[in-house]
Amino acid sequence: MIRGLWDRETVALMVLAAMLPLAAMWLQVEGVDAAFKLVFFLVFAGIWHLLFMLVRAQPPSFAGAVTALAIAILAPEELGVVHLLLGVSFGVVMAELVFGGWGRNVLNPATVTLAFLGFGFPAAPWPDLIAQIGWAAIPAALIGLLTGVFAGRVMVGALAVFGIAHLMGVDLSGVYPAIAVVFVLLVLDPVTSAATRTGRLLYGALFAALVVLFLIEWHGAAPIQISAAAALLASLAAPLLDEIAIASWLAQRRRHLG
Amino acid sequence: MAAKGFFWSTLTEPLIRQNPVTLQILGICSALAVTTSLDTALTMAASLTVVLVLSAFFVSLIRRHIPDSIRLIVQIIIVASLVIVIDQLLQAYLFDISKRLSVFVGLITTNCIVLGRTESFSRSNPPVRSMVDALGNGLGYSMVLTVIGSIRELFGKGSLLGFDVLPTVDQGGWYTPLALMLLAPSAFFLLGGLVWAIRSLNPEQAEALEHVPPEKKESRA
Repeated sequence: MIRGLWDRETVALMVLAAMLPLAAMWLQVEGVDAAFKLVFFLVFAGIWHLLFMLVRAQPPSFAGAVTALAIAILAPEELGVVHLLLGVSFGVVMAELVFGGWGRNVLNPATVTLAFLGFGFPAAPWPDLIAQIGWAAIPAALIGLLTGVFAGRVMVGALAVFGIAHLMGVDLSGVYPAIAVVFVLLVLDPVTSAATRTGRLLYGALFAALVVLFLIEWHGAAPIQISAAAALLASLAAPLLDEIAIASWLAQRRRHLG
Repeated sequence: MAAKGFFWSTLTEPLIRQNPVTLQILGICSALAVTTSLDTALTMAASLTVVLVLSAFFVSLIRRHIPDSIRLIVQIIIVASLVIVIDQLLQAYLFDISKRLSVFVGLITTNCIVLGRTESFSRSNPPVRSMVDALGNGLGYSMVLTVIGSIRELFGKGSLLGFDVLPTVDQGGWYTPLALMLLAPSAFFLLGGLVWAIRSLNPEQAEALEHVPPEKKESRA
């Protein structure tokens, strides 16, 4: 549905706008190196978008910039240019562009890139995010919520489960920045998160539950690795959660209306 | 002359244009399972080709005597006997590789390519033609296995057939092995990429769209 101002690129720009506080804080903390990394990913994600525009006439999207930012912040460190290039190409092409571009993809390209790099080079250390970056995720989420591109129900679902876990004595303080940044960058992505009301609650809750599970049971994993794995599994489950929500709604209707 | 042309096209068609793996997507379970290194892939390819050619010969030889109602049973018995022979040979002469191939040699019996060719071709063609067709299909399968096996071993371990090609970091070289290549999903990615590449070069292989996207309306000026 294309109505007036709100087409795909408006949504992409709003998502990008929501990411700005996070990006600014990250650049300020990490300095010039981070800026170079970001430019590197921006250029290569851009090249792939451009290639698919020329070959398959797919309009490029500003969402490529969000992908590049997410990969730049979260990708494992100490990897060579070739490795990063392989990862970003795999994620951007296989997870997004072959499906027909942003808006038709099933998985977030940045999530797939992280999974690829994580499985491909298990020895590479994951970056440590300091607390300020974690706090910058809150304004990012709020901007997304106010502009209507992020679903509040996903946040409610996740916060509820994290709250329960906290009350049950799971220590979340050390991993908070990683969880918050992954949540904003990967989980809240409007394309790959669930799309029904109940589905969104379940989706947020599933992400949080997976993170808590991995925190308790997955020994020796970095916080970002845990959160990215949970994001990957949650977005794989998102269509199923929508299906469950729709099926239960239909069953309810049938009961009420006969 | 016409017969020669027929044999030639029967032999070469299944290599790319009618490739059993990339066009018909048959036999991919074994193609994905044994390709972590090139030597197992080559052994598997050779075993399958031998079984395919011999079973085509035997099925075609007795094709007029097989009752239709039990033809599948007869074909499977022939294939299974040949597989047992191959399995024993591998265990006798290539014990190490046979151990690494584990159950997949035995599973040639259930390989869709073997039964597909005996059922669709050997059952209604004379022995020599059937064998040529079987050889072509065996070679098509072997080609895919060789390509995927080389890529996975080269990038996953930095070696080919056990010889170091890309010196890895552990041994003081520069290449960081891509561990993902040794995991099962990478075989799916590679096979998918291969199918994509072949179908882009050869668009007649592409399937018709299941859904047609709605006409895009002009956005308001």
